[in-house]
Amino acid sequence: MMLLAVLASCVMQDPIDAVAASEAHRVAVIDRCAQAVCSVMSMDAPGGGSGVIFDPAGFVLTNYHVVGKPDDDYKLPDPPQPPEAVLEAWRQQTEGDDPDEAAFIAKWQKEWRREHQPSGASHYKNKKIGLPDGKLYEGVVLGIDPGSDLAVIRLLPKVAGQTWPSCTLGNSDALLVGETVFAMGNPFLLATDFTPTVTFGIVSGTHRYQEGQGNRMLVYPDCIQVDAPVNPGNSGGPLFNEAGEVIGINGRISIGDRGRVNVGVGFAIAANQIKNFLGDLVAGRHTEHGTLDMSAWFMNSRAGKTHKRGVFVQQTFADSIVAKAGVALGDEITSFNGIEVRSANQLATLVGVLPAGTWVTLSHRPQAALGGFGDEREVTVKLTALDTGSSRDGTGDDARLGSRIDRRIAKDQIVNSWPESSEPGVTVQWTRRGPDGSKLVAITDGERIRLEIARSVLVSLDEKEGDGTQGFAKANGEVRDLTADERERLRRERISNPVLWPRAAVAAHLQHALLVGGVHVHGAPAYRFALPGDGDCEAWLFLDGTPAGFAFRDPMRRAHVQWFVRDTKLRVVVDGELETGWSSGMRATGKPEDQWFRRDA
Amino acid sequence: MRTAMMVLAAASVLSAQKADFGKAYSFDERKPKTQIERTVDKLMPSIVKIHGASGLATIKSYATGIIVSDQGHIVTLDQILLQKDRTRVVLYDGSVHEAILYPADEKLLVRILKIDPEEVDGKLQPLWPPSEEQATYRNGQFVVSLGNSFRLAEFSEKVSATFGVVVGKANTALRYRMADVKYDNDIILTDACNNPGHYGGGLFTLDGRWIGLNMRLLDSKETNTMWSAAIPSRDLLPYLEERVLGKKREVETDKVVPVWTGITLFEQAGRQSPPAYVERVKRDSPGRTLGLRVDDLIVRIDDFSIRSCSELRSVLKKYVPGQTVKVMWKRGTRVMTGDMTLSEEPKK
Repeated sequence: MMLLAVLASCVMQDPIDAVAASEAHRVAVIDRCAQAVCSVMSMDAPGGGSGVIFDPAGFVLTNYHVVGKPDDDYKLPDPPQPPEAVLEAWRQQTEGDDPDEAAFIAKWQKEWRREHQPSGASHYKNKKIGLPDGKLYEGVVLGIDPGSDLAVIRLLPKVAGQTWPSCTLGNSDALLVGETVFAMGNPFLLATDFTPTVTFGIVSGTHRYQEGQGNRMLVYPDCIQVDAPVNPGNSGGPLFNEAGEVIGINGRISIGDRGRVNVGVGFAIAANQIKNFLGDLVAGRHTEHGTLDMSAWFMNSRAGKTHKRGVFVQQTFADSIVAKAGVALGDEITSFNGIEVRSANQLATLVGVLPAGTWVTLSHRPQAALGGFGDEREVTVKLTALDTGSSRDGTGDDARLGSRIDRRIAKDQIVNSWPESSEPGVTVQWTRRGPDGSKLVAITDGERIRLEIARSVLVSLDEKEGDGTQGFAKANGEVRDLTADERERLRRERISNPVLWPRAAVAAHLQHALLVGGVHVHGAPAYRFALPGDGDCEAWLFLDGTPAGFAFRDPMRRAHVQWFVRDTKLRVVVDGELETGWSSGMRATGKPEDQWFRRDA
Repeated sequence: MRTAMMVLAAASVLSAQKADFGKAYSFDERKPKTQIERTVDKLMPSIVKIHGASGLATIKSYATGIIVSDQGHIVTLDQILLQKDRTRVVLYDGSVHEAILYPADEKLLVRILKIDPEEVDGKLQPLWPPSEEQATYRNGQFVVSLGNSFRLAEFSEKVSATFGVVVGKANTALRYRMADVKYDNDIILTDACNNPGHYGGGLFTLDGRWIGLNMRLLDSKETNTMWSAAIPSRDLLPYLEERVLGKKREVETDKVVPVWTGITLFEQAGRQSPPAYVERVKRDSPGRTLGLRVDDLIVRIDDFSIRSCSELRSVLKKYVPGQTVKVMWKRGTRVMTGDMTLSEEPKK
């Protein structure tokens, strides 16, 4: 870049030096990035696409259209026999009881399936992944996003504990038209040794909306337009910025009159959109896109007395989520998730990059009877799933392409990637404010937790020291033992609420957790981790490891409660219904004060 | 419901708008840092999207234009979509304006549109072709090309920017039939991508000088190649000065006298491109003086090889009466050559 600036202004530095410096920088970046770019091919079909390793544990991003549809006739392999050592141990244990060995083996195999095989209805055959080191690896298709053309594959290691060179995802919202970028991949499968082809260009446009194909599949709601040549076979390959960060996945091109060849108009799925689906994809899910269940259009009119310019609701169903929230035909849409809406394409872009189930805010001005508009009001709705026609294989938590092992590896990898914390203090104190103004204060210190709800105080003590019944409740000046429900409530809050974990203890808290998917919390993507035990306990953490919220079945309220936390924003959802009026106060860390956990204090 | 429908119907009446001109792009962005980013950022408000009569087959109904005066003059490539009362211009801020059409320049195949500056909120940011010295460019020099490729940008969205180098300067007349283009002048060849919709946009150096107006892709059916090209901006000056500044043109390009040879060609009805066989030669005509006879096949005029009647006609348009051309023709198995001095058609 410096080279171009210097050449253009024709001043100062010797241009040749500048050219050499810029070129040397680019060559170094390309050299590093190329290690992580791979070719993705089917086991039994010609052709293929590209991909990029974004995690040292061998997680690969590519296009959905590269992995194709699930293989209908594919049957999962049978489980192996239990190892002889396991059988021997079991025989010794059950000696003399007339053991049913067949039943034991069946049980063991069932457990093996649960651990090693996906639970969904549809499956993929493993893919062949060629890396620039010239080696061919096998890869498991983990997660798919047919709605906007993404897929995640996990490489199977050739030796235990193998790691791969990888590239990190950059911030695609910081891209500007004119910024230099390069695309990598294996167009036309030119490289039989899998060294990627590199093409160079500039960002031609940002936040482009490209319609999908078929039944709302392969929509590119927020893509980057580039003039770096992208050709068949480049699909699924990365688009890099000058710093060597993956800022997009190249997936499609506009073509002229001559068939599928490059005309200088390529599109890459933006990295920030990918991040929104990363949790679901890595957790082995068939992701779903959200929709407001309405269409809007841009209008610019001076007909009649009123002057209209803006985005207006064009179509909606009577039972759609927005209609139920009070948004009607002809209303003006003013902002979405706090971002001012200036065009219909922009609204489609903002909604299109969000997964189904995301809570969003929408501001609108209702159309008044005489053609004017009322005051702006804000509604909060939960995006419904867009039917892409690909969901027939089953969606939701049950439809998984990845096994529990995959999810455990993913969890370990994510937790390990978070920076070590140097935060002082062992106790954490967090205050929430309810809709009626009441305070809810939680304090933890290791296994001890104290919960102040309005005027009552619940305290549960270290379970290791006692029999688990230790703890007490104080209300109206009286002290009594905890009820079973109260004790369970405290346990669930303690194990699932990451806001109450000292930063240094995050890995320990998630030791037995499993990555189950992604969740969008107040405009930022986060991971969902399921914790073992009863109560559907889940801890949510943002991609950088900071707390994003939690969920569990509250035995005191007898309801499933979700807490969405970001800074001072707090959204509470009880059995799927929004409870408005919550806010989050400061989180503080420090040393424990003994009186917090003393019964007689 | 009815009110809603009326609101929808009203939207088809598009007209200009007051808004914060130049600040209407949908998403917030960081500040430009590099030279290309700065140049693109600076030029974007001067580029407009043009929408016109709906497209037929491969002819697109959209194009790009460049604002050339604060009075609302916009220059673009002359094309079929530019129809009276049906041409709309979308400014950088997303506002839509109806445009009136000025007469096109027959030679450059460009046209000026005008929108009402009163309807524009804020000040238009016009560009003007740089002077002769400023407009220089060299082969290999970096350029950015701006235009609305494939109509990817709508309303206030930014048009596409592509990057490349100047490949060379060419004269389409000398490379006649290398590309199937009806343009007869110097052009700038570039590898900065150009696509349908990009036409009428600008080609700029990295420091933001306007050096060319993007023209249609040069397309050679013979070699199956396409080239991106631009009309040098300085060639637009006489037309812009005449139509925008109201200057009289010094050159009488308007009145071109067609040349006359006195030859009638054998054009079979229904055949697409019949070869140039002579059917009749008039008395006292350049053709008769040369010695052409019925059934002679004309195969070459100067450096242009002639394959059909229509090619002969378009080649002859490049000459004026009084010029002498070298003609090559076939009579039976013999190839003959001779000089022919072209004349004006005699008045009856």
